[in-house]
Amino acid sequence: MKTFRDLLRVALTGLYARKVRTLLLLLGPMIGVAAIIAAVGLTDSAKGDLKEKVNKLGTNLIGVAASSSFGSKDPTLPQDVIARSQSVYTVTSVAEIRELSNIIVTPYKEAKDKYEAVPIPVVASDIQLPSVLKVQLISGRWLNEFDDQVVSRSAVIGIGLARQFSYLPGEVRTIELNGIRYGVVGILSEVELEPSFDNAVFIGFPSAKADFVDTKDDRILSNKLYVRSKEGSEKVTADALRVAINLGGPNQVTTDIKSEALQLAAQSDQQIKLIVVSMGILASIVGGVGIANVMSISVIQRSAEIGIRRALGHTRSIIASQFLLEALFIGLLGGICGVMLGILSIFIGATIAGWVFVLAPWLIPAGIALAMVISVVAGLYPSVRAARLEPLETLRLG
Amino acid sequence: MTVVDEVTRVGVEPLLELDTVSRVYGTGEAAVYALRDVSLRIMPGDFVSIVGPSGSGKSTMLGLLGCLDIPTSGRIIVGGKTVTGLDDAERTEVRGRTIGFVFQQFHLIPHLDATGNVETALLYRGLSRAERRLRAMSALNQVGLGRRHDHRPVQLSGGEQQRVALARALVTEPKILLADEPTGALDSQNAENVMELLTNLQSPERAVVIVTHATEVADAAYRKVSMRDGRIVNDVTRVR
Repeated sequence: MKTFRDLLRVALTGLYARKVRTLLLLLGPMIGVAAIIAAVGLTDSAKGDLKEKVNKLGTNLIGVAASSSFGSKDPTLPQDVIARSQSVYTVTSVAEIRELSNIIVTPYKEAKDKYEAVPIPVVASDIQLPSVLKVQLISGRWLNEFDDQVVSRSAVIGIGLARQFSYLPGEVRTIELNGIRYGVVGILSEVELEPSFDNAVFIGFPSAKADFVDTKDDRILSNKLYVRSKEGSEKVTADALRVAINLGGPNQVTTDIKSEALQLAAQSDQQIKLIVVSMGILASIVGGVGIANVMSISVIQRSAEIGIRRALGHTRSIIASQFLLEALFIGLLGGICGVMLGILSIFIGATIAGWVFVLAPWLIPAGIALAMVISVVAGLYPSVRAARLEPLETLRLG
Repeated sequence: MTVVDEVTRVGVEPLLELDTVSRVYGTGEAAVYALRDVSLRIMPGDFVSIVGPSGSGKSTMLGLLGCLDIPTSGRIIVGGKTVTGLDDAERTEVRGRTIGFVFQQFHLIPHLDATGNVETALLYRGLSRAERRLRAMSALNQVGLGRRHDHRPVQLSGGEQQRVALARALVTEPKILLADEPTGALDSQNAENVMELLTNLQSPERAVVIVTHATEVADAAYRKVSMRDGRIVNDVTRVR
């Protein structure tokens, strides 16, 4: 332990005493590591906003829709679809909706001519939908159990529709669905994974049944589900859901993983990343060669010092360790400086380009480790050479 | 073997002994005998000068005496222990424990101050830094450089640098002090100072061995070993 402390002190003193040389040695691993970190960071940051969105929305939202192989109109999901989907154990939450057709939505009766041309989707939804979609309400509230119990004519509108209708948050307003007045109780925020919801009107299942769907059933059947699965198991879950919901029945079920497209878009350009990282590794290796070079010269320059140390009783292994430790410190310092320089470049690059700063945390230890490995490997040959020097030759006895 | 008037004191173990040692450089027809069957005993209390013209084998002798080199044949015994069969690490250990070196070119480490240079000899011996400093300071005081302990080699004169080197050789309390042309790079005044120090460093337990071609330096020693063509041609001890 004391020997190691002595070694450490000698190595550090040696590096400190030759500041310019140390600085030059640092440059190699530093530039290499900085290049790698900047490359990975900048290619990630370029898609940083999308990555952030993926992280926020989660990658585990699955849409389940009823479809008919026989071309029947308005295919629906089975009555007990919620229970069936919850039998898949990777499912964490479910919400169901029914897209209603042929409903004319107008902000008020007089505007009928203006808005009839643009169809506005009306969706019957259960009370779980915002929590499954992870969407907030901009103002007001979502449909609740009370609305369903008393079959109130309450509606929540999407943010796009609110803008279109010049709806002010908190304003007491009604909209007309096929001429029936519904009170607007809330505005749903942007739904990134289901953009059509931004212009939709949401009402409860009971009021939809009462006002728009003619059916003998207790309630109207849903035709779409939104399912959250355990993170990472979305593909398995989607496959299982198709089976669990269909159960051999006549109606087909299709699934789609909502975040797939977004995730794909958020993926960094792997080829560019690979090229720049390779260049960074190349720079590190060149830096390593530089270290080997400068240290070899240094061994020649310091041969008298090595000789006298040997004469004073320092063993070959002590001499080798001393040089290796110097290389290790150069790697450590170069790595730290390189990481800092890399982070700075990402920050500057991202700021100029208006990207979201993204840095994978593992890059920091990995960068420092890479610099240290390269430095030590580069320092190996000079260290062995230093240890092999014969004191008698280096001291040039007269 | 030409060993003339060898001093042998009964009951006293030699500090260092060369036993029919030869050192050959190169092989076959190109072989050069730097030393040929040399035997020499360095006793405690010896103050020896090894003299001879260049090419006489002085430097080879110094390398062998300092365990910096191994002979082609023959034995070297340090403190009763044969070192010729030892590996490099073991020889290094023996060297660090028993021998102190002073060189013509001082060989101080330029980026360390006087204390640092002296301390270098005490590294890797399990001593605390404070202990090393203390001993280094005391060695520097011994050579009269206590006040300049924080000067780096460039800030010191040649004579002072050689005294730092002397302190570095002393600090490990070696049994044998090996000096290679210790005054070779100094002016006469400084040379005199250094010789005086070396003379004072000789003690009943310690031997001082000086390799030189300067006669005034050689004459300061009590025992004079003369060499020529790789052999000892004369070994004279004068009465103190």
